[in-house]
Amino acid sequence: MPKELKSEVKTLVVVPAFNESGNVGRVVQELLSLPLRLTVLVIDDGSTDATAREAGEAGALVVMLPFNVGIGAAVQTGFKYAFEHNFDIAVQVDGDGQHDVVYLEKLIDPIRKGTADMVIGSRFMEPFTGYRSSFIRRVGIHFFAGLISFLTGCRVTDPTSGFRACHRALFTKFIEEYPHDFPEPEAIMAARHYGVRLMEVPVQMRKRVKGHSSIRYVRTLYYMVKVTFAILLSMLKPQGRLS
Amino acid sequence: MGIKFLTLVILAGILFFVVDLIRRSRLTFKYAVGWIFICLLGIFFVIFDQLLFRLAGWFGFLLPSNFIFFVLLCFFILLSLFLTIFLCQQNSRNDTIAQKIGLLELEIKKLKEIIKPR
Repeated sequence: MPKELKSEVKTLVVVPAFNESGNVGRVVQELLSLPLRLTVLVIDDGSTDATAREAGEAGALVVMLPFNVGIGAAVQTGFKYAFEHNFDIAVQVDGDGQHDVVYLEKLIDPIRKGTADMVIGSRFMEPFTGYRSSFIRRVGIHFFAGLISFLTGCRVTDPTSGFRACHRALFTKFIEEYPHDFPEPEAIMAARHYGVRLMEVPVQMRKRVKGHSSIRYVRTLYYMVKVTFAILLSMLKPQGRLS
Repeated sequence: MGIKFLTLVILAGILFFVVDLIRRSRLTFKYAVGWIFICLLGIFFVIFDQLLFRLAGWFGFLLPSNFIFFVLLCFFILLSLFLTIFLCQQNSRNDTIAQKIGLLELEIKKLKEIIKPR
């Protein structure tokens, strides 16, 4: 099991972004204004707008993928960078501005202290004061939370949250294999397969400023069916161990 | 005799086409071998059709034509599954290449900034 990290930890914030011009610059600025030593890496997932330029101007390092590879592969790119540059913690923050970055320290603290290997920011641990997603989506999230909690034996309240932090030992595994189809819930399953200590911390999320989510109303039900299959199938994968 | 001749011509035509594709480097032997094998098997059964009738009987098919359709259906289902696996592998490789290109471009950019003349 990974132990407590040294006091000066290297933290990389991975921000996957696809056509997030108007959002991503603000996210990077907010991250860099935090009283933490962070490196911000924006993964421009084949955007056709000014996402990369905006992120670069705001002070982030930018990886420009030549075409759209999807959020799973985009986040994995960040993990690869974190591994190659010896980062201790990799944090995922979405480029749409929905994640309130003031909670970032709460997210990395358990990893720094050595009490968890993966920490997920959950919207459902405290009463909402921030943005509430649509009713149908909340139903979906609670369904996946119940399913994953049942299958893994570990209570998870917000399995679709992309606001999460990983210890080096875990993202070293993720660079070899990371779920591409529905990365958030599937990554929890993969992490449990490696026997990691999973923790959730309460966070608030915000409504996105510009654009719309990639998962919309009519697709929600279809998404639920597909993710359920993906979660169930991930149970059949061989188990591993963290080094 | 007419249908046998027609089948033989079609199979020989496909075989010739596949061999020509390999010759012109449009198809590699790795992916052509299955088609060559199927064509040769088809030609064999056209020539020795009594063997085909007997095989159909052994498997319980009343009509040899039903047996042929069944075998072809199984072949195309399997082919489609293998092509999906191949597609998935290629997709995964494409993603890895894209990640590598993106990361290398960033490293080049960082190096250029370091060696930029002041």
